[in-house]
Amino acid sequence: MAAKRRLFLAASVLVAAAAWLPYWGFLMSAPQYPDESLTLQVSHRGIEGDVQEVETLQQYIGVKFPEQLPELEWLPPALMALAAILLLGSLAGAGLGGRLLRWTGVVLFVALLATSAATVQRRLYDVGHDRDRSAPITAVRDFTPRLFGPTKVGNFTVWSFPHVGGLALVAAMTLALAGAGRKVRT
Amino acid sequence: MTRIVTLIVLSILATAALMQTMGCGETGSAQARAAQEVYVPPGEHDRYYAFLSGGQSGSVFVVGIPSGRLIREIPVFEPRAAYGYAVHPNDPRRRELESTGGAWGDTHHPAPSETNGVYDGRYLWINDLANGRLARVRLDVFETDRIVKIPNLQGAHGIAVVSPNTKYIGVNGEFEQPTDGLATNPAPYTSVVAFVDPESMQVKFEVRVNGNIDIADSSKDGRYFFSTVYNLEQGKDMGGMIQFDRDALAAIDIAAAEKAVAEGKAEVRNGVPIIDPANVPGVLTLIPVPKNPHGVNVTPDGRYAIASGKLSPTVTIVDIKTLKIVAEPEVGLGPLHTTFDDRGNAFTSLFLDSQVVKWNIDKAVEGASDYIVDRINVHYNIGHLQAAGGETMKPHGDFLLALNKLSKDQYLPVGPDMPEAQELIDISGEKMRMLAAFPTPPEPHDAVFMAASVLKSKVKQVFDVGADSIKEGAESVVRTGPNAVTVNMTMIRSAYTPETIEVREGDRVTFRMTNVETIRDMTHGFALPDHGLNVSLPPGATKEITIDTPKPGVYWFYCTNFCSALHLEMRGRLIVQPKDGPVKITDWRAGQNVAGMQVPGVPSTEKPNGR
Repeated sequence: MAAKRRLFLAASVLVAAAAWLPYWGFLMSAPQYPDESLTLQVSHRGIEGDVQEVETLQQYIGVKFPEQLPELEWLPPALMALAAILLLGSLAGAGLGGRLLRWTGVVLFVALLATSAATVQRRLYDVGHDRDRSAPITAVRDFTPRLFGPTKVGNFTVWSFPHVGGLALVAAMTLALAGAGRKVRT
Repeated sequence: MTRIVTLIVLSILATAALMQTMGCGETGSAQARAAQEVYVPPGEHDRYYAFLSGGQSGSVFVVGIPSGRLIREIPVFEPRAAYGYAVHPNDPRRRELESTGGAWGDTHHPAPSETNGVYDGRYLWINDLANGRLARVRLDVFETDRIVKIPNLQGAHGIAVVSPNTKYIGVNGEFEQPTDGLATNPAPYTSVVAFVDPESMQVKFEVRVNGNIDIADSSKDGRYFFSTVYNLEQGKDMGGMIQFDRDALAAIDIAAAEKAVAEGKAEVRNGVPIIDPANVPGVLTLIPVPKNPHGVNVTPDGRYAIASGKLSPTVTIVDIKTLKIVAEPEVGLGPLHTTFDDRGNAFTSLFLDSQVVKWNIDKAVEGASDYIVDRINVHYNIGHLQAAGGETMKPHGDFLLALNKLSKDQYLPVGPDMPEAQELIDISGEKMRMLAAFPTPPEPHDAVFMAASVLKSKVKQVFDVGADSIKEGAESVVRTGPNAVTVNMTMIRSAYTPETIEVREGDRVTFRMTNVETIRDMTHGFALPDHGLNVSLPPGATKEITIDTPKPGVYWFYCTNFCSALHLEMRGRLIVQPKDGPVKITDWRAGQNVAGMQVPGVPSTEKPNGR
């Protein structure tokens, strides 16, 4: 099997696995939790982790988790479809049809990741802006947590980062890009 | 000639100046070194928990070593509102206190549970000398969980766990009682040593001893329970108690005592078999030691029991295999208690000399003249002393705590009663070194050290939701009788649910409360003004308490454990409606009253009044 095919096969497996792993993670630390942090993960099942504690804290600054996350319903099927295209790409020959299929997979992959990132950022913006204005603590201004890295919210530092699923997707995209860009071995 | 005199004067001055400088320098650097050894930077933990008995405060103080910082008080025989402990008359611990001798006590000797001869971090027992009681503290939560009265005994003084696996807790009765149990018969008086089961806290049997039974320890193999005994002359006043030259170290053969009980050779009084050693030879051996001895301590290797002379300047070393005295070396004035390092040395407190004396056990037994290793002054009048792990089979040999009965000039004057001092001494070297002093509230007698590594991981901070927990969303106020209401309540930052409870004057109200927090240190209090009620609920815990509501009014219950930015706002109302007023009984979320519990002339139910 040509090297590019193996790269596409690996990308396909990674994407299929990523669909069922936590996509994104959050780690919240504050002075009153000296040797522990609160963690949240977003997976196809929704928001998981220290949900009760975070919700208890959120009420003080009028923040709440989104009640509906429809994107989490379409993401797993979309990823499985993408995995299927990548798998086909790994099976297809070296001709024009095969190359077209592989490039289509790559373009869809990039588009899917970009859309997901934009959606997450939009959700994060909403969390920090669509707030209950009658909340008790008025000292915290509206905020937008970063997609990657730390954001200060009140006494908390919120770290946002791709979880294992997210990392698998990034790795898969790198593999697919490498595979599509490689010269065909004859 | 003048030059010579000048030279001599100059050289003397120079030497004096040099000595002065060196002396000052040494003192300065020694203090700096000691300060560094006891300094624990903010955010770091101590190496040991030290459990200090609280004397008449009726509690146990927990101090971090080496810093000397008081990190917790465990109330035992006295209610303590700060911890929501035994405050209300209906609190189960309060009832236990009241039914066994009252809401105060005099704690002397903390005794931790042992497994294989070392502390296992499960329990700590403590005596109440004043009211003849024994209490057990759960070390996973640092809370008293049982208090029992010891029958047939007054003045529960020395206690010790029977090594190596905590078979019993032995409790010495210090104040002799009429042997036949009748106050009308003044003589003869005797006392008992009680053997208490560590799990059930029941007294399994008692052994009668003439005289006053003082301090206790057990042999490391669990064969013997040792007690010092004074006043064999059975005097009833001070002068009468010091007539004999010799009193005794009592050795109770535990297996022989158990056998005597099994064979029915004990007289049962107040539900407890009492063995009279006069009728059952082999149970009790009395080893004569200089009169009015005080402490008894078994060496870590289990070879010797050492009785301290108190009035005699000696310690008496008894071979545990033969129960014979092998040496009686002089150690200083007023020897009270002895503890040990891991290198064959003993440390004895000298009450009159105000010293700790370090001496070598083997050398003293051999009769060598150089058995005294070192002496260090303490400030002043030391009582107990305890080295880290000194009562176990594996002493640590690093720190020793001197507990001083009187301490003058150690702290700023605070009225006629001077603060008591604990002094921390480094025993890791050949010479002892004074490190630091710290005061505690009055007044510790004895202490034990427990390594942080033994206990830290066992400490429980969040309770799991159990079958008796009130769940969020399942709160209710239910009328269970014409004059009875049950409130099923939850609490979480920063509100109680329900926040409003209406009852009628004269109702008996049972609060069943769950703190539904899930993270550590998020304890909530529940204090109710004018009803003698303050309860403390750690995260996940459920507690129940019943109160009466004799007086109409609006009573604001509130959170007494600081919890959040809205701590002050965390409160609610108990509205007690007058009996003859416009009565409105609200059942909160209950839907309806329990069948058959209709209150005549009272509307049965109102629907939920909101959350």
